[in-house]
Amino acid sequence: MSDKPAFSVNVGGLKSRSKGTATARDVEKIDRAGDAHGFVDRSPKKKRGRPASPRTGQVHAKVLPEYSEEIAAEATRRGVTQGVLIEEAWQLYRGKHGL
Amino acid sequence: MPVIVIASPKGGAGKSTTAVLLGTELAHAGADVTMLDCDPNGSVTLWSERAPLPPRIRVLSDVGEAGIIKTIRTHDTDGSVVIVDLEGVASRLVSRAISQADLVITPMRATTLDATIGVRALSLIGEEEEALGRDIRHAVVFTMTRAIRSKQHTGIEESLKEQGVDIIEPALMERAAFSALFEFGGDLRGMPAQGRMEGALQNASEFAQAVYARLSAEEAA
Repeated sequence: MSDKPAFSVNVGGLKSRSKGTATARDVEKIDRAGDAHGFVDRSPKKKRGRPASPRTGQVHAKVLPEYSEEIAAEATRRGVTQGVLIEEAWQLYRGKHGL
Repeated sequence: MPVIVIASPKGGAGKSTTAVLLGTELAHAGADVTMLDCDPNGSVTLWSERAPLPPRIRVLSDVGEAGIIKTIRTHDTDGSVVIVDLEGVASRLVSRAISQADLVITPMRATTLDATIGVRALSLIGEEEEALGRDIRHAVVFTMTRAIRSKQHTGIEESLKEQGVDIIEPALMERAAFSALFEFGGDLRGMPAQGRMEGALQNASEFAQAVYARLSAEEAA
């Protein structure tokens, strides 16, 4: 196999050519043209759902609606936060599993 | 220097193989080549990590929708060919990259499905030309073709030509060496022999020459 190129590129002969401006308005035009042909925004989106607390890093646990309503009602009745009930539930869980 | 955008909303059409073959052949012929990997699958990046890059090639990875225009413009300077490898979906990233192109190449397997979906890229180019008020040269290259041409291939090619679509000759044939680029990295000259290497080298070189001829013609015009 010969390592000699079958052709050579005239590096000096190919110059950068103007593509016009790229202002926000130009980009909007490009995007509109793309949208018309189904070339739409598919960039990754941020995760949906409640973000973690910036202070504690906690994310609220999601539970089924019937549990959610019961926990909320009980916390209201006792005048404590729902977190207090979760702490108590966790203590029971630890006791049950010997943690 | 020219910005060559490899675009097709159809996955598996041979975009990354086309990009790597074109980049390595132009670099071998003396051009400085900057390859932008805009495909979330990172095929060009994977290729670039397999082996030391051939001389005069650099690869920039993870170029997304927000930064594509700025990145192309940053590297679109005298002295370097920019090759943009795009994702195989119809996305805003694709339409933005096309807007910065001197030449858009749409790789297409010679199947009705590839042609039907690939033509969407050609329609988009027409729309962008109108929106931007400038011509964007574009061409189709058939990929993974066989020595014996199918009736489907002939029919699709005739139909495209009737519509005034520029077809790059030669097509890129189905060759073990082309797919092996992603196994060994580097260029065709540096890998262990895969099938008939002389034929693969000739095919890749003639394809790159055909692309270069179009770029030179653009300059002359």
